[in-house]
Amino acid sequence: MIVRSMSALIARDLRLAVRHGGESLMPLIFLFSVIILIPLGVGPGPNLLAAIAPGMIWVAALLASLLALENLFRPDLEDGTLEQWWIGFCPAGALVVARLFSHWLITAVPVIVFAPLAAQMLYLPAEALGVLVLSLLLGTPILSLVGGLAAALTLGTNRGSILLSILVFPLVVPVLIFATGAVSAAADDLSARAHLGMLGALLILAITLVPLATSAALRLNIE
Amino acid sequence: MIPDFEYAIYVWTSYGIFAAVIAWQFLQPQLRKRRIEAEVREEKALQTGTYDDANP
Amino acid sequence: MIWKTIKVNFHRLGSPPTFYRLAQVLSPWLWGGFVLCAAIGLYQALYVVPPDYQQSDSFRILYIHVPSAWQAMAGYVVMAILAVIALVWRIRTVEIMAMAGAPIGAAFTFICLATGSLWGRPMWGTWWAWDARLTSMLVLLFIYLGIMGLYAAFEDRRKGARVACILILVGVVNIPIIHFSVEWWTTLHQGATIRLFSGESTMHESMMPPLVWMTIAVKLMFGAALLDRARNDLLDQDRRKGWVQARLGEAA
Repeated sequence: MIVRSMSALIARDLRLAVRHGGESLMPLIFLFSVIILIPLGVGPGPNLLAAIAPGMIWVAALLASLLALENLFRPDLEDGTLEQWWIGFCPAGALVVARLFSHWLITAVPVIVFAPLAAQMLYLPAEALGVLVLSLLLGTPILSLVGGLAAALTLGTNRGSILLSILVFPLVVPVLIFATGAVSAAADDLSARAHLGMLGALLILAITLVPLATSAALRLNIE
Repeated sequence: MIPDFEYAIYVWTSYGIFAAVIAWQFLQPQLRKRRIEAEVREEKALQTGTYDDANP
Repeated sequence: MIWKTIKVNFHRLGSPPTFYRLAQVLSPWLWGGFVLCAAIGLYQALYVVPPDYQQSDSFRILYIHVPSAWQAMAGYVVMAILAVIALVWRIRTVEIMAMAGAPIGAAFTFICLATGSLWGRPMWGTWWAWDARLTSMLVLLFIYLGIMGLYAAFEDRRKGARVACILILVGVVNIPIIHFSVEWWTTLHQGATIRLFSGESTMHESMMPPLVWMTIAVKLMFGAALLDRARNDLLDQDRRKGWVQARLGEAA
């Protein structure tokens, strides 16, 4: 039953995203506008671009995940659906996880799929592409989880968007450090295992603890 | 032994920042308390009709 | 019998008027203690302690840099404990105390970063380095600012306090990162020289007393400022309630 409720919520979110069309393309547009603007801004030298490529792709992924946060829970709060999460038979925590998963599918998966192409446009060595994708796979769920927490915390305020980025930024610093560390190490022919291991540990920590905090924050905000 | 000349500026600036921030931590609550109390008194005066325009 | 009296009095602290009175009595004493300890500490730090053989006089910055750094972290731990109490037992005075800690903690984090920067300039030759400890301290500052911003953004103060308490608990992960950053990553910032529990401190004895005095001073000041701010918040939120009106009527 719980799985059915969760998959129903995910299916609904995905359907909404597809029907909104333009909005679901935003993360990709964002990624590629960053990738195209960077060479214009810092000059087209391959060495420089390859050095900053991991950081740029990661910053693009972070900003793309921030874009959709404002409306992660707000429409549901306004039409009363959110309260139903606590009344229904399905535990609210599971629905929170489902909502965060669909946020990740919509904002992060397109970025992960196109990241190798973007990295090639920035001359990142081909050996590092696998690690880049792996770091994105491990790291972007943390971005969605932390972003979801920030969205839940600011739900009751009316100037959420400024606060959102202030809250997200300090909490995702470790993710950015380890992820770009992993990709840079791979690009320099070093082992990226230590960095990826830390990233995995962060992901496990975030998956276990953040949904609890998120549902507690949502609960307080609908009281 | 007062800090010698080479480093004096760094040391004194640090201690100055410390003093300024601590002083602000002391003063800000006092000022806020005074402001809140004045507001409460003003509200009360408005309610009881003893509000004095010239000398609130 | 005595235990029961203590318990009853402790529970009374949950009542705003009682808490207000206690804070009013306690705060001047804490400020007095701060001034006394800081006077001794500063005198020793600036006049008694001999210059370091490597760093000459610039190490005197340590006596405000280190206590502030400790207090920035300890203050966060205090807030986290208060946040747990506030979320579990929903005591309003505790919620307010937890929120009152944020600006003071932010102030100490700022002192720590600013003095560290001033110390780094002559010693490392740079104002700032993207070193693990410096970065995590900067992150702590942003967490403090986030807590203050979140609390201020809510119309309903109690709801804001409780939501911000959740953020405090989430931010706790940063504290061990700051503490161990100098041991996990070897970078520009030196390792810990003071050890309370294991092994010997690598600092010379003659340098210790001012550090101890300044640390105590800063702790007392944190307590005093916390009570002052919590008292103001109570006054602000309860301004329409009887006890505030009565208290002000008395004073006028």
